[in-house]
Amino acid sequence: MQSAITGFIQLLRSHELRVSPAETLDAMAVATTLGYGDRARLRDGLALSLAKSAREEAILLRCFDQYFDKTLAGQADPAPEADPAAAPESPAPPQEEDATLLQEAAGEFPELGEALATPLLQQLLDNDRTELSLAMGQAAAASGLGNIRMFTQKGQYTRRMLDALGEDALRRAIIALEQADSPLLELLKGYSDNLREQVRDSVEREYLLQAEGHNRQFLDDILSRTRLNQLEQRYMDEVRELVRKMARKLAARHSRKPKVQKRGQLDMGRTLRRGIATDGVMFNTYWRKVRRDKPQILALCDVSGSVAAYAKFLLLFLYSLQDVLPRVRSFAFSSHLGEISELFREHPVEKAIELANWRYGGATDYGSSLEDFAELALNDINSSTTVIILGDARNNGGDPRLEIMQSVYQRARRVLWLNPESRRAWGSGDSEMLRYQSACHFAAECNNLQQLERIIDQLLRLNH
Amino acid sequence: MHTQDFPQLESIERIEQGFEALGYICSTKIATAVFLAFQLRKPVLVEGPPGVGKTELAKTCAELLSVPLIRLQCYEGLDEAKALYEWKYGKQLLYTQVLKEKLGDLLHGARGLAESVERLHQFGDIFFSEDFLEPRPLLKAMQQERGAILLIDEVDKSDYEFESLLLEILSDYQISIPEIGTVKARVSPMVFLTSNNSRDISDALKRRCLHLYIPFPTVELEERIVLSRVPDIDATLRHQLVAFVHSLRELDLKKAPAISETLDWARSLLLLHAGDLEEDLVRSTLNVLLKFEDDVQNAESGLGELLRAARSTP
Repeated sequence: MQSAITGFIQLLRSHELRVSPAETLDAMAVATTLGYGDRARLRDGLALSLAKSAREEAILLRCFDQYFDKTLAGQADPAPEADPAAAPESPAPPQEEDATLLQEAAGEFPELGEALATPLLQQLLDNDRTELSLAMGQAAAASGLGNIRMFTQKGQYTRRMLDALGEDALRRAIIALEQADSPLLELLKGYSDNLREQVRDSVEREYLLQAEGHNRQFLDDILSRTRLNQLEQRYMDEVRELVRKMARKLAARHSRKPKVQKRGQLDMGRTLRRGIATDGVMFNTYWRKVRRDKPQILALCDVSGSVAAYAKFLLLFLYSLQDVLPRVRSFAFSSHLGEISELFREHPVEKAIELANWRYGGATDYGSSLEDFAELALNDINSSTTVIILGDARNNGGDPRLEIMQSVYQRARRVLWLNPESRRAWGSGDSEMLRYQSACHFAAECNNLQQLERIIDQLLRLNH
Repeated sequence: MHTQDFPQLESIERIEQGFEALGYICSTKIATAVFLAFQLRKPVLVEGPPGVGKTELAKTCAELLSVPLIRLQCYEGLDEAKALYEWKYGKQLLYTQVLKEKLGDLLHGARGLAESVERLHQFGDIFFSEDFLEPRPLLKAMQQERGAILLIDEVDKSDYEFESLLLEILSDYQISIPEIGTVKARVSPMVFLTSNNSRDISDALKRRCLHLYIPFPTVELEERIVLSRVPDIDATLRHQLVAFVHSLRELDLKKAPAISETLDWARSLLLLHAGDLEEDLVRSTLNVLLKFEDDVQNAESGLGELLRAARSTP
């Protein structure tokens, strides 16, 4: 049964639950304490020891139902199904009849005799589900069914399963009967089809179980490397989920701040002064408090046609990180600039991004946008402010107003410029990127989710 | 804590019965968590919306086992001096002042500094011994003879540093005090941590705990809870009020009414001699259930509908 638990944990890992080896041991201890007899109890126990949030618990319970439905079937009582009671002896006589009919014909066809000697056909004839499901379990292990990943592999694995079950004897018998045009052909074919169907079902079940997690990882991998403006509309839901997942990962990584010396230095003056009351004995000590740095982030996003797709993801990312980045103010611009922070407070993130696009989209003018920005927020920029600008710096030949960028640069703790264009294109044509770059602490190319994640990871690291 | 000392915890069924006798009606999952925590000596991290009985669980456990409940309420800025131990600084100072005179007698006849120091060394670290140690909740829980229930309440309110402090205590049930050494628990206490999810608890801490999420109870369970806590209330009224509270939870509220609010409301209705959920009565007592003006208005707008649905539930 231990292998069932480890198999279950493998499955959980493919569904993005992080389970450490120590937790595996915990789960084993839980299972030993509770026993395998009571399914509901085991389910509760595993959920208690392996899930770490309500979300993970829901995933775990779903996986448990899928997985142990399969694994416990062979373990369950000899009469696992309720339907033998519902349909009592009635199907049995014809099957016995079938068996005798086939036995009689076996003299005529040696292949049929061979097939009848195999345990497989006996199980089919006896309709012995317990034995059959055990045999299927063994065949699945022998054919390595657990490795199925792609739907194109289904046929192949069905074949292997059938071979492992010893179906070839049955097949030969069918061929012999076919050549002789025997009346028993239909009868035997019925059993063979029945078997195939069961094998196909179990392959299908295994595919759903195994491949779902892996395929999602595969898709996530591809999506995180695709250029953001080329992502197809139908993958948007997946991408959003992916962004949230990345944000959760980053939040978890950065929510644990390195230890801040809370007490700081001894406040000698105060300690001495308060000591006067106790005759100069420094009874109570007083300490200088370390002021905690509250980072502030100002995000400026170009929402003109060429960059809008990227802006959407940057904003989605920043606002998914609310727990770690408490003070994000966001601005959208193309021909002019406006603050859109309140849109995010009032609406869910996706809706807010749409509204921002609609309100500020248009032909790009960096000069006047920077002017607007200076008016709105320049006075709020101080040494704890990080300014992130997302844009292609294509100014349509207008005045870049570099001096505003420089004053931002001087005041802010950090200015980051994210450019969706590749580095080679910077400065070509109407791009002002090289000039703006001189007024940035850091400029980077950013056109897929992976790069975005890396940049935000760095950003969070710099914040404390 | 050992199984033979506490037969109350030897099986999940007995825990359920024991809790029920004390008026704490729980789901099998909660009983399983307590059972596992006891058998595997693991702390339980209890999460869930406010008012579903997270703190109550620890209290009931202490009552069931008749061991002391030691509670540590977490808040921002909680540090080891308040959670673990503190040196009795005042006492130390006072003693040094008082013993100043004795020092002369003690060092009488000693020749040179080296010999004086030698003599002083004979007394060891008297000022840093257990007599001068002020145990705070976590250390106190380790010192109990028969074991204890340690409740670390609202651990999400504390700082990250404090979480790391808990790691040693929760995995090995021991505390390191630099001046004395490692203090190991006489009998390892049963630990409950509660969290309202105001922030994420670190993975390291979560990994050491069993994770118990207590959601709002089902209708049947909540009716049993009301029955055990407010036994005098009429059966139909009980049924209706629980159905009504459940429909309130479906609404989009700032704070959904929890079990404690249901019980308060049941008691209020009992005091007002209500026999039925009348609209006026509900309207005037709605503030027992809902704690925000917005929520009250939200509920009032559809009150007739909600009450009709609650009355007609089978």
